[in-house]
Amino acid sequence: MPHTLNTLVIGYGNSLRGDDGAGILVAELLMERIHDPEIEILGQHQLTPELMEPISRAAHVIFIDASVAGRPGKVHRIPLRPAPVCSRFTHQATPESLLAGAQALYGHTPEATLYTIPGRSFETGQQLSPAVRRAVNELVATLEKELAANAV
Amino acid sequence: MIDPVTRIEGHSKISLHLDEEGHVEEAYFHVTQFRGFEKFCEGRPFYEMPSLMARICGICPVSHLIASAKACDAILAVRIPEGAVRLRKVLNLAQILQSHALSFFYLSVPDLLLGMDADPATRNVFGVMEANPAMAKDGVRLRQFGQQIIEWLAGKRIHPAWVVPGGVGSPLTAENRDRILAGIPDALAIATRALDWFKNAIERFREEIRTFANFPTLFMGLVGEDGGLEHYAGKLRFLDAGGHVVADYPDTTYPDFLAEIAHPWSYLKTSFYKPLGYPDGVYRVGPLARMNIIDGIGTPRAGQEWAEFRDLDRGAVLSSFYYHYARLIEIVYALEKIEQLLLDSDALDTNVRAHASVNNTEGIGVSEAPRGTLMHHYKVDRDGLITWANLIIATGHNNAAMNRGVLQVARHFVHGNKLTEGMLNRVEAVIRTFDPCLSCSTHADGRLALEVELRSHQGELLDVCHTR
Repeated sequence: MPHTLNTLVIGYGNSLRGDDGAGILVAELLMERIHDPEIEILGQHQLTPELMEPISRAAHVIFIDASVAGRPGKVHRIPLRPAPVCSRFTHQATPESLLAGAQALYGHTPEATLYTIPGRSFETGQQLSPAVRRAVNELVATLEKELAANAV
Repeated sequence: MIDPVTRIEGHSKISLHLDEEGHVEEAYFHVTQFRGFEKFCEGRPFYEMPSLMARICGICPVSHLIASAKACDAILAVRIPEGAVRLRKVLNLAQILQSHALSFFYLSVPDLLLGMDADPATRNVFGVMEANPAMAKDGVRLRQFGQQIIEWLAGKRIHPAWVVPGGVGSPLTAENRDRILAGIPDALAIATRALDWFKNAIERFREEIRTFANFPTLFMGLVGEDGGLEHYAGKLRFLDAGGHVVADYPDTTYPDFLAEIAHPWSYLKTSFYKPLGYPDGVYRVGPLARMNIIDGIGTPRAGQEWAEFRDLDRGAVLSSFYYHYARLIEIVYALEKIEQLLLDSDALDTNVRAHASVNNTEGIGVSEAPRGTLMHHYKVDRDGLITWANLIIATGHNNAAMNRGVLQVARHFVHGNKLTEGMLNRVEAVIRTFDPCLSCSTHADGRLALEVELRSHQGELLDVCHTR
């Protein structure tokens, strides 16, 4: 199947649970900066099965999520491989399972990378902790450059 | 104990209590999450309520937007422009479409396609992808289309702020109308395929049909002035199990005929029909209720399917297994109705908002959400600050019937002091027919979950199943 997208960016998390909103905020900031029909940016509260379809249309996909593990604000870049992890819950699809689903249903799965941003506080509220906010800004700047250079 | 109950929206557990002979004597569906939206909105300006209340749920935020905005319209004391009513109706139907697609294809098809006794490791949406990829793709496409309509209308799929007191934030563009209309034929073909598949599959579920919350109750929901299917505004109708209309009420008078009780074992309140008291006044809402209470549908394909559905029983269709069937008919209806609304010559009307300040200190908004009738009721002070709020959610209306349904299924399928996967899944599956949204009903927080506990007549814990 021909790709209709160069890159799909999916930032996800709960913007009402403190640092858990880091991924969705990265997506929202990238949406303000990048206007390229070859790049689609989605901000999601959670990963859901219907994302398999746009994933299957992309040559590259970037997932951005907050993490409870690691030093707050220290961004990790993790290459992903498809893995059909079965979940009974619609709210707990994993990036790997969506990649596997895209392959199984639509015959294609893209190269994929997960950026995780370890958080400090996941309590109710819309504020990010300072280290996470800095990490969000740095990751946005990095991805903006990489996407512009088509080098993801 | 089943803990957590899976493939539902929220967290809960089920406890089954045995008598001395080891037969199920009592069953309780416990909702274990708590939120308290009604309390923490006090003091907020009423015009923030639609966006605030939409945060109750990530699955049906649009339903809360609609009911909340209607309550706020009543506080403004305005009659909102017809163009706004039309667009709110399209948005509400798109919400019903995407939510029903999620409930049927993602949550229920694993049981229906793979069987109630299939290996739980594969009895999920990924198992469906392997067993019937075309059906899995249909599910993905249909839900995606519903969400796209919401995004094209309201700017984003989840928690849009486009519905406002007095109307909607902006009119529909010709481009977005045409995009929606272009997608209808494909979506209708998917919905029709799913209905045909379901009607062929139900023969395999005779035992479940007989035992899945299959008992007489009242049914409640909105109907239009002509008694037709209505999801946005109308009168509230009660129907008895024999199919007779008990009463039609103005929707804003619900406190006159509905009451709620709280149980010590659940955060989910239970509603009942006051004139009959509790438990005789137990009623059901949602797709099954809506298919039972109406005199007609008003769209051609859904009308044909509804006529066939009504032939299932002489009076009301009583088995909750048929919630799935009713949901599929409503998907067809939603698509046909959206098309009708958008083909209206005034579909692009730019007059979509009325402006006013606080003219009433109380407002009630009622609409049909995917899972049933949704009621938002607010009181404000003269500055428009919320002083009191009450939300009655579809899952609360259905709570008593769900508990009774769990007991019926458990008595039929659970025997002895050891739980098996097939038993457990059927106990969970009866809850899934109602498609409960526990985040909404407890107005909750945290992880998704259901567990089942099995206790002896002396209260001793015999077995527990955690389905994580």
